[in-house]
Amino acid sequence: MANISRRDFLKFIGAGGIGAGAGYIYAESVKKTVEFLVPQVIPPEDWSPGVATWYNSLCGQCPAGCGISVRIREGRAKKIEGNPVHPVNQGRLCALGQSGLNALYNPDRIRTPLRLTGARGSGEYEPIDWDEAMTSLGGRLGSMKIQGAADRIHLLTGTVRGHLDLLLARFMEQLGAPTYLQYDYTHPHSLYAANRMVFGVDRLPYYDIRNSDLLLSFGADYLGMWISPVHHSLSYGHLRQGRPGHRGTCVQIEPRMSLSGASADRWIPAPPGTEGLLALAIAEALVDGGGYDGADRADWSAALRPFKASKLAPTIGVDAAVVAELTDAIRRAEHPLAIGGGPAAEGSHGTAAMTAVNVLNHLAGSLGRRGGVLFGADPVVADDWRVRQASYARMMEHAQIMGRGDVDVLLLHGTNPVFNLPQASGYTAALDKVGTIVALSSFMDDTTAMADLILPTNVYLESWGDDVPEPGVGLPLATLSQPVVTRIHDSRSAGDIVLGLAHQIGGELPAELPWTTMEEYIRHSWRQIYSVEAGGTDAGFDEFWKDALRSGVWARNRAEMEAAPTVSPAVLAQAGSAASEFDGAENDYPFVLQPMMTQGFVDGRGANLPWQQELPDPLTSVVFSTWVELNPTTAAELDLEEGDVVEVSSSAGTLAAPVFIYQAIRPDVVAIPIGQGHTRFGRFAEGRGTNPLDLVATVTDESSGALATAATRVTIRKTGERLSLIKTDGVSRDLGRQILGPAKEHA
Amino acid sequence: MSVSVLEALQPFKKPVLLGLVGLLGFLVGDWANGRFNSDSAPVQPIEFSHRIHASENQIPCQYCHVYAARTPSAGVPSVSKCMGCHQSIATESPEIQKLHGYWEARQPIPWIKVHDVPDFVYFTHKRHIKADLECEQCHGPVETMDRITRVESLRMPWCIDCHTENQVEHGRDCWTCHK
Repeated sequence: MANISRRDFLKFIGAGGIGAGAGYIYAESVKKTVEFLVPQVIPPEDWSPGVATWYNSLCGQCPAGCGISVRIREGRAKKIEGNPVHPVNQGRLCALGQSGLNALYNPDRIRTPLRLTGARGSGEYEPIDWDEAMTSLGGRLGSMKIQGAADRIHLLTGTVRGHLDLLLARFMEQLGAPTYLQYDYTHPHSLYAANRMVFGVDRLPYYDIRNSDLLLSFGADYLGMWISPVHHSLSYGHLRQGRPGHRGTCVQIEPRMSLSGASADRWIPAPPGTEGLLALAIAEALVDGGGYDGADRADWSAALRPFKASKLAPTIGVDAAVVAELTDAIRRAEHPLAIGGGPAAEGSHGTAAMTAVNVLNHLAGSLGRRGGVLFGADPVVADDWRVRQASYARMMEHAQIMGRGDVDVLLLHGTNPVFNLPQASGYTAALDKVGTIVALSSFMDDTTAMADLILPTNVYLESWGDDVPEPGVGLPLATLSQPVVTRIHDSRSAGDIVLGLAHQIGGELPAELPWTTMEEYIRHSWRQIYSVEAGGTDAGFDEFWKDALRSGVWARNRAEMEAAPTVSPAVLAQAGSAASEFDGAENDYPFVLQPMMTQGFVDGRGANLPWQQELPDPLTSVVFSTWVELNPTTAAELDLEEGDVVEVSSSAGTLAAPVFIYQAIRPDVVAIPIGQGHTRFGRFAEGRGTNPLDLVATVTDESSGALATAATRVTIRKTGERLSLIKTDGVSRDLGRQILGPAKEHA
Repeated sequence: MSVSVLEALQPFKKPVLLGLVGLLGFLVGDWANGRFNSDSAPVQPIEFSHRIHASENQIPCQYCHVYAARTPSAGVPSVSKCMGCHQSIATESPEIQKLHGYWEARQPIPWIKVHDVPDFVYFTHKRHIKADLECEQCHGPVETMDRITRVESLRMPWCIDCHTENQVEHGRDCWTCHK
């Protein structure tokens, strides 16, 4: 062994060297990545690392007005839950509310004020600082005010309630600019109009689903997206299981089975647009059968005579026997309740249909009664916001004014009409005629992308504010919104921007809006609420304020309910025909389009939240896309399978999307979810799916001015392309497992 | 005629030896990495000496690591805490000059973590201090260290050994640490 050749010696040296190198690199590669232990420079006094603090605040994801509890660690929001002491949601929260973190930490948030440098809509902006933005905008508004041209300044927001609404109104009033509108796709204009017509009330009454034992829903998807879904889900639980030995019954009348339909005992797929007639047929049978014994029974009987079920049956597609069964159920029920919404309220005579539902409630004796429709509960904050809610007709009037070039400055906040109004309305073109569009927005959405100046706003988790939910829970109630984290970008809340502008403009504005911050303003306003409650003194307000900040909500324990309003048979004549009329001839366009709001996206506002994108739709389990729901029979006739891309056309437009075959939809109806198809809304929303509102023809419900989104006929053409739907379900068939009872042949 | 196995293996002798030398080299390289470039004692942005603070000046651990007794994390002292003393003490030292630099720039000091457990472990200082453990039991003789060094593995068998030895209630339940 002693005589190693030179050659071998070098080989051993090489092997040893390579081995050592490999050993060193191996040891380096299995090391953990370096983590840092970053201390505070100056530690805040009110938190300790690793210990969570929960702050109660207000959810801003939809207008239901739920209370939230946000878990904060090391100054960062980690989780959002329902506020357990909030009467609306009682500790529960929907998926959209939980996704508020996606809004807060969204990488597509606007981080600095932006000024347009290219052509409008080009997306070319330069960042500017806040001083410059506020000086230039304040100067512009101020000089218009001095020149007496302030009426050419308009403000358009989404649903804004509580004191921010009052602040905006005051700002516009002091500016001398009378036009302040709110546009929110979810606002049920026809329901409001019908309540005004029948009950003479502006405020939405409280529908006491919780204590009812028979719930007739005419299209209202109360578990899905109708008014206050989390509260209704709680009520539904109580209606079903909250009273031992007593299980309430639910009947759902709608052409396409919604989440509420799937949870009901009975689903009645009446032809689209005839829901109101069915309500009247039931009302007729109720009066005729002696179920109503008011003094004006004869008048009702006469007014309802044309709606006899036996005569209407061919139109409403529901047997007289079924009507008799439902009537019988109402008579036997102690607390029957009828509610209306969804496609029934979105026909060309939506107001008349909702009137019919109200009449049915009256005749069934459900008004002003436990388990029925409750009136009263005076608001603790002035609720003028309802007057500002612009229906489609009012938006079109506004579009005309803009189209004439009569709007020099349009201030936008929290609304997306470019996405939510149909293309056929021509709204976008009118918007383009506005001199300067200023958007107060957190995200670059379809409408914000039209702006000349963008002021980035805080999301609700970073803002002061308050809200009075409508209809809430039938008690005087106000929710407080407080920043649960310090703002993470260089943004400001809309209220702070308006207060800043008031000081910038000068004149009498700083005296009329004397607060320097939204926090100061909210605190001042709550001091007023407190002194009214405390009988004119604000002694003890500080304690009250601390309590309010801690609990996130203030409510009076009990409220005097108002007596039920009297309802006269004349409303039927006043409301007119309850049957919907459709755009497009039946021969050319054989199907009725039903654009539907989903829990995930509401009207599209949730599409930039990745958690909502990956949330399976509760009925179809589809994620990430837009689909076209067809009945199996229809699909078979058109030779379509799931995933076949079809072209859906109306007189107003065309879109292409893949088919989803859904057993629980009428063969003459096509349903498409709203929410996708944004041209601008950040990386998670853009280039995904299509927007069914672009198919909607401009049919309006004259009584309310609402756009009749469920009154467009469409035709379907197979394109031959295929696009697999991404969904979490396997098949909707039971494959011989007999989980739905005895096996039947499927279509 | 005798048949030798060694004879038959003769042609493989050299490759096997080469392999052995390579393996030996590998082990030497691995050891050298641990000896001279270990992550158990990384070079920190400031050469902070626990020996000077805890031994020479007898400062108790929780004077700086204020959260240890009441929260999951012991808490590395804030820059303002350091400046509380070093505004006037040892201001000429070049390492303290670095501290002043961070303070004036209002920047945190990016200390490198030495003692760390994976994210799926729920560890809390609070419980261990309540159980009257000395800091040294897990962190070693910190008061003798100029540069902080990890002396225990902080791996699960090490945890379990201690929990078993001290008969910790529910100390061997999965959910005690993994929840």
